[in-house]
Amino acid sequence: MTMLEPPVGGWIASIDSAPGVPVMRWASRARTIAGIEKELARIWAQPDLATDVSGDGRAARHIAARTSVLNLVVVARRPELGEHSASIISRLTGRHPSRTLILSPVDPDGPAWLDGQIQAHCVLPRADAPEVCAEIIYLTAGGEAGRHLQAIVAPLLVHDLPVTVWWPGEPPFGTPMADEIVGMADRLLVDGSMWSGDGLARLRSMAALFQDPSLAVTDFALTRQSRWREAIASTFDMPDLLPYVNSLRAVEVTYASHDDTGVAGTSNVVKPLYHVAWLASRLGMTVERPLTAGASGWAGQLLEAALRSGRREVGVTLKPVTSSAPSGTTLRVDLLAERRGSELRVSVTAEAETVQVRAWLDGVTMLERDFRAPRRTEEDLLAEALELTGRDPVGTNAIRLAALLAG
Amino acid sequence: MAVKTPTPASARDAPQTALDLRLARDGKRRRSRKPDHNPLRDGLRLERVPDPHVFVLFGATGDLTRRKVLPALYQLWRTNLLPHEYRVVAIGRRDYDDASFRAEARTALETFSRVPLETEPVRTFLDRVDYHQGDFDDDGMFERLATRLDGLDQTHGTRGNRLYYLATQSSAFPLVIGQLGRVGLDHEVHGGGWRRVVIEKPFGRDRDSAIRLNREVGKVFREKQVYRIDHYLGKETVRNLLVFRFGNGIFEPLWNRRYVDHVQITVAESIGVEGRGAFYEETGASRDFLQNHLLQLLALVAMEPPATMDADALRDEKVKVMRAVADMTPAEIDRDVIRGQYGPGWVSGEQVPGYRSEPAVHAASETETYVAAKFAIDDWRWSGVPFYLRMGKRLPKRATEIAIQFRPVPHRLFREAAVDPEPNLLAIRVQPDEGILLRFGSKVPGLGLDIRTVNMDFTYGSAFSVDSPDAYETLILDALLGDASLFTRADEAEAAWGIVTPILEAWAGRPAPPFPDYAAGTWGPPAADQLMETDGRRWRRI
Repeated sequence: MTMLEPPVGGWIASIDSAPGVPVMRWASRARTIAGIEKELARIWAQPDLATDVSGDGRAARHIAARTSVLNLVVVARRPELGEHSASIISRLTGRHPSRTLILSPVDPDGPAWLDGQIQAHCVLPRADAPEVCAEIIYLTAGGEAGRHLQAIVAPLLVHDLPVTVWWPGEPPFGTPMADEIVGMADRLLVDGSMWSGDGLARLRSMAALFQDPSLAVTDFALTRQSRWREAIASTFDMPDLLPYVNSLRAVEVTYASHDDTGVAGTSNVVKPLYHVAWLASRLGMTVERPLTAGASGWAGQLLEAALRSGRREVGVTLKPVTSSAPSGTTLRVDLLAERRGSELRVSVTAEAETVQVRAWLDGVTMLERDFRAPRRTEEDLLAEALELTGRDPVGTNAIRLAALLAG
Repeated sequence: MAVKTPTPASARDAPQTALDLRLARDGKRRRSRKPDHNPLRDGLRLERVPDPHVFVLFGATGDLTRRKVLPALYQLWRTNLLPHEYRVVAIGRRDYDDASFRAEARTALETFSRVPLETEPVRTFLDRVDYHQGDFDDDGMFERLATRLDGLDQTHGTRGNRLYYLATQSSAFPLVIGQLGRVGLDHEVHGGGWRRVVIEKPFGRDRDSAIRLNREVGKVFREKQVYRIDHYLGKETVRNLLVFRFGNGIFEPLWNRRYVDHVQITVAESIGVEGRGAFYEETGASRDFLQNHLLQLLALVAMEPPATMDADALRDEKVKVMRAVADMTPAEIDRDVIRGQYGPGWVSGEQVPGYRSEPAVHAASETETYVAAKFAIDDWRWSGVPFYLRMGKRLPKRATEIAIQFRPVPHRLFREAAVDPEPNLLAIRVQPDEGILLRFGSKVPGLGLDIRTVNMDFTYGSAFSVDSPDAYETLILDALLGDASLFTRADEAEAAWGIVTPILEAWAGRPAPPFPDYAAGTWGPPAADQLMETDGRRWRRI
């Protein structure tokens, strides 16, 4: 590594770019933080940045503008996660942050080194509008440098913009490295359904992060269930059924499991648990008894817990069944409510791309309705999460209650 | 009974009086009050899907349907914002059947959809579109329609919820509404679903006809079933105006006569009448734009903060401010309201004909294609602050903008500067390049002390998703969800006509100025500039 690096790379001559299609317009490389900062400044130093978008050689000038929304920090502890995240993010150019840092710590026992690849991805919102650009910086840190990611990230953030940390895979909450990174964040994005084991221990340590009152957490596992929530909520939109919302007696969530040895803790139960936690938190319930392994079903052990709603106890059951669906996927949510001698049963099931809700009052069908619920891709979820600001009380309370249920 | 923790859901059930407490302790009183809202709905607003329904579209073969309504419905469908149990029944005079109308609808989507079409959503969307052929004055057609809709409720689970969308010529509104009433399609039955009607502009052609139309509509539908659409109010920037004014702390304190010198609202169009000469001869710029879009923008800029975001609170404030617009005498109308008409000229490098040479336009037409007006709002907040509104066809470019011009600084401090600092300006651009611009003075770098005006510019494109919904998507979804905030209420339409009708009457009483009085591709007639110059101001260059 030389002290004075010659600038590598620069603006990439424009290929025909159609409106709405992101293209990479800058690529360069640096091996120090100062070098990366210099490269970033160089991108925006050309005041007369022209792109020939007309395609006929006419000097159609479209000054590129940098977006200024937020900083996105991605921690990818495995290289394939980093590549996967980067491809999602580059597709979101035009509706996404001004600066993305993708961090990959490698070779923790080797010598300390840093490699930064600086890219600008630009998109034409419309044929007659200025080009909008966003920066992506790939940072690979070896050895000791990889253990102090915060020291690499802090100088590279666009100042005064919020910081979102996306941590795909398994964030090691509670370790100094995770604390440092999460400490910089205004919002943390995770996917609890990808965690190993039953995911409950990690869920508890994530809920502990809420001690910082300014941190917002988006869990894609919870976001993905929005159509289920819509389906359940729609039942109680019916004036005749609304009074039952405060009289729940039992909640049972059936989920897919690939493990038929019968040992609890091998399927991730974060998603099934979120259904219960959302309902309980919306209805002002408290946790009476956290989840414990209960009777053995034919596809594994039931997990049982109890909630309290006023004077009543509400039974909670998470029930695994063998299924071809990915392990931990919710298959069915059943609710039982009792009021003045009448019994309301609600059953929500998923089939292909629809969620179906059915409700019976004393055995008489009151509601049958389908909700279209196509699987949302990570790209959709990320785009949606990046548009949020501030803490979402519904999600926060659901995650908190889920952690309490986890024990 | 144990006293519950006071969460929002249970707060209403908490004991209120000593008697309640005693009863609660004795366990004699059971919780009997029903909850009045669904606690599971909190935080679900954006995810909410409308109830199952039939979208009954009158004017199925019209331009509006093809350009706006069908593409908006497709986009809502594609993004899963419409329920699974959803049908469209399109009604038109022409001789289509379901299959040929679907083919026609596909062509419309291919031409006008703002997103590329995807095979599967298009197929499932069009599968839900039926065609119902007939004349609006044919009683039998409406009876068959009623039977058909009831049939759909049975076969497709649409549960009696219906949205009637009137994308027809406005002259057909009373007829269609009367027919709907005659066959009982307006009745909301308990547990049997809602019935709503969406009416396109224009709502009448003056105050009396608006009142008459409202009366006709009111004979059949209750006001809460009626959604008068003004697509300007569905535009992202217009909705953002509410957020900008009432979601920020720093602007509202300045939003009054102490700090604001005047307000300019401009709607400039570079297009002419686009083959709609016959329509335009009947309406003119005042009816087509001033009465609805321009006055709606004025109301949103000038209104007091509503107490809540509910539809009536918002519309009450708009009506209040429209009623505060000062009445004008004929002499004041002569002085403060300018009409114009374009002659031949050049727009965007192309030679274009004058208005009087457009097809279906009278060779000596006195219809205005430009209108500029100065209004005073007589209320505590705005007394003495003029509001200048202008709208024109065949102006140099397409632009809509609201500009708040602030007062100059009270004391001239920088005496050695070559020029005085310009007063601050806040411009809210509605189209194109939706965004907000704040202009302020800054020191020019150097040894002297020169002041130059600089802009702080926010554009939607660089801060948010480039994918703003079309106004029709926003408004149709709102109507399906039963949110009327962005629709015009009957009294609001009448109040707006109350401002415009005296102007139309004054004009009708005397010959028009020598038309044409501005060349296509220029910023309107000289009289409009004089209107500003008399007040020592000038129109913003946009």
